Amino acid sequence: METESGYDPDLWRSLSEMGVVGLVVDEAQGGSGVGPVELEAVMEEVGAALLCSPLLASGVVAAELLKALGDKGVSERLLPEIAAGTSIATAVLTGDSGCWTEEGVTITGEIQDGGWQLSGDGSYVLHGQNADVLLVVANTDEGLAAFVAASSAEGVSIEALPTFDHTLRLAGISFDGVEADRIEASGSVWEAVRRAMDLALVALAGEQAGGAQKVLDFTVEYAKTRIQFGRQIGSFQAIKHMAANLLLETESAISAARHAASRLAQDSENRAEAVSLAAFACADAFVKTAADGIQMHGGIAFTWEHPAHLYLKRARADAQLFGTPAYHRERYLQELGA
Amino acid sequence: MSSDNQSSNDVLREEVRQWLAENWRPEIARTLSQEQYGWETSETRKAWLANVVESRWAVPRWPQQWYGRDLSDEQGKIVEREFAAVRAPGAGQDRINLWANTLLAGGSQALKEKLLAPLLKSEVNMCLLYSEPGAGSDLAGIRTRADRQGDHYVINGQKVWTSGAAVADYGMLIARTDWDVPKHRGISFFFCPMKQPGIEVRPLRQITDESHFNEVFITDVIVPVENLLGELNTGWQVLNMALAYERSSMGESARGPRSGVAESRNEEPLVALAREARVLAEPKLRQDIAQAISYKRLNALNSARAKADLEQGTSSSIMSLGKLAMSRILHEEARVRTEILGAQSLFEGEHYPRAEDANFLTLNAYFTSIGGGTDQIQRNIIGERVLGLPKEPEVDKTVPFRDVRTS
Ligand SMILES: Cc1cc2nc3c(=O)[nH]c(=O)nc-3n(C[C@H](O)[C@H](O)[C@H](O)COP(=O)(O)OP(=O)(O)OC[C@H]3O[C@@H](n4cnc5c(N)ncnc54)[C@H](O)[C@@H]3O)c2cc1C
Repeated sequence: METESGYDPDLWRSLSEMGVVGLVVDEAQGGSGVGPVELEAVMEEVGAALLCSPLLASGVVAAELLKALGDKGVSERLLPEIAAGTSIATAVLTGDSGCWTEEGVTITGEIQDGGWQLSGDGSYVLHGQNADVLLVVANTDEGLAAFVAASSAEGVSIEALPTFDHTLRLAGISFDGVEADRIEASGSVWEAVRRAMDLALVALAGEQAGGAQKVLDFTVEYAKTRIQFGRQIGSFQAIKHMAANLLLETESAISAARHAASRLAQDSENRAEAVSLAAFACADAFVKTAADGIQMHGGIAFTWEHPAHLYLKRARADAQLFGTPAYHRERYLQELGA
Repeated sequence: MSSDNQSSNDVLREEVRQWLAENWRPEIARTLSQEQYGWETSETRKAWLANVVESRWAVPRWPQQWYGRDLSDEQGKIVEREFAAVRAPGAGQDRINLWANTLLAGGSQALKEKLLAPLLKSEVNMCLLYSEPGAGSDLAGIRTRADRQGDHYVINGQKVWTSGAAVADYGMLIARTDWDVPKHRGISFFFCPMKQPGIEVRPLRQITDESHFNEVFITDVIVPVENLLGELNTGWQVLNMALAYERSSMGESARGPRSGVAESRNEEPLVALAREARVLAEPKLRQDIAQAISYKRLNALNSARAKADLEQGTSSSIMSLGKLAMSRILHEEARVRTEILGAQSLFEGEHYPRAEDANFLTLNAYFTSIGGGTDQIQRNIIGERVLGLPKEPEVDKTVPFRDVRTS
């Protein structure tokens, strides 16, 4: 977590070998060929362990974006490397606004000397500092288009951004006339981005649910062992009631995350409703559980001797990626027809 | 109010104004206003405070014998208001200086002569040696011991979460002096000299990445008998008085942002922040901002009413609400700041001062909701001591301390 790259290459290799990195990549391309349900389950573990890795960036967002864009040639070239973990890919979707919407796209693509060139400043790029391959969504004369560029290409400059959650890696990436290949999308580019982000949100929801569950577990355990006033602190109703409320939060988060995963897996009509519900319910549940968990531990949780704060930091970060809880509440209501 | 009173108040007010006009020079004001928050006191500040104390403006309600003027509470207020009007620090210490008030109330003649003035002048640094690994909320469960040997006590034990221990000259220490009586009755309260070999201070890294608080290991530390406050084994009473001071000051103010980047002075910080982030028009945020500001305003109104009651001689139950209210204020303000910033709150560091502030304040809110007695303990105190609700049974209250159960 305190290294520059923010992940452990050995661990990354084993995750790849176990098939975790290529979870959603087809078997024909070296992946595990499973879907959102399995991904969500893995992400619950990721959240519990506060795993630091480019899994979300490369194995989820980039892989799903490539699949959804449906350019066979590009997919066949990139997905096997992504699944094998030998190449880390990430998507450049937004700029300084941090709005993961069509309006938030800041890069532009133009034809120069017969080839495409990208310009503009992207931000909030997950593991941008570790990426080999950049998938870039850009505005062009022909509307929104997707491109692939090497992170080592001329004109790309990558700046690691200082994140409050040290388990997270974000970068700002500037493009100055960068040569790139256009990805031939089989349908709407934004629709593909939306699919990739929905899978990312389900993954995050799993991570949040798993993180909340873990905090609740170690907090309840502590309440059973810590003695003040000659009794376990869990015998005080103040603590007991907080714990009960957190169980309600946590169980609801797990239900929401799993429900969204199965709706996504079935590609069901109300998938957007389920995803947006999970997005804000799990974000809020994780933040609340991590925050109350600190209060329930007392002074020990105000220090680095105890991991509770790491969970709060992760919870606060997860709550902002791919849209804020407020944004997802609005989307949820719209999906409900209001 | 009689006109006599009125005119003597006018005379007093005039005297303070005059003194400030002569002494509170612009260069001092400038230096002090630019000081950063920290545990150590600058030379300029020390010199200023010394002047305030020697001129008897620091503790005017205290007796003449101890740097005071025997003024009434109302007159004390007049002095404070004049100081506040020109933003000069140092007045009102007879209300807010935890260390000096505790010493005045419980200290021996010799200790008061030695330390009262230095405390008022911030020449000595202090810390609170209360909490232990096994005794936080349940402070009466402490196991640090003090044993009398001739003209001093010998202290052994361990303290934790001791803010400022690394730079402290003295610590207000509670230690067990009788193990055969129930836990509240065998505790004594000391001013413990910190600069001696048996004190080992180990900093703890806080979640805010600062290291203001520490573990303190105490081995055969010597404390002169004259450093005992109150009678032997009545430390619990002294402690409760000191805690009341600490909690009431925690209910009145708290540490603000630390990025050092100025926030608007003309506007509520949350309003200014939302304006800057161009989200001030959003209805949900407007509601949240209004609510957060209202918590702060209502606490200030409560506190003003409590003080007015106090001046009329009726004690007010509102006083004990301040710390709990402040906890809610701080947590809610930090939450709304985060909400205003959205994705920008992911960052930290000097290039992202607004995010830095939102994140820092989110974490530092626990300083108030855990430090000085947790919110849960405050609610118990309010329920039991203010509302008179039945006390929770305390299983170990009447047992000799030797037989008490611990973690
Ligand atoms: C930033 C900071 C600075 C501090 N500075 C100092 C200092 O300078 N000097 C010093 O001596 N101490 C200091 N403290 C310690 C502080 O006073 C204790 O942390 C606090 O009193 C809680 O004790 P604890 O940490 O042992 O938690 P515990 O007492 O173990 O409490 C754990 C949980 O149980 C709950 N609980 C405990 N008893 C009850 C009950 N009867 N009813 C309901 N709930 C209960 C608490 O609310 C909490 O949620 C500081 C703490 C912090 C966070």
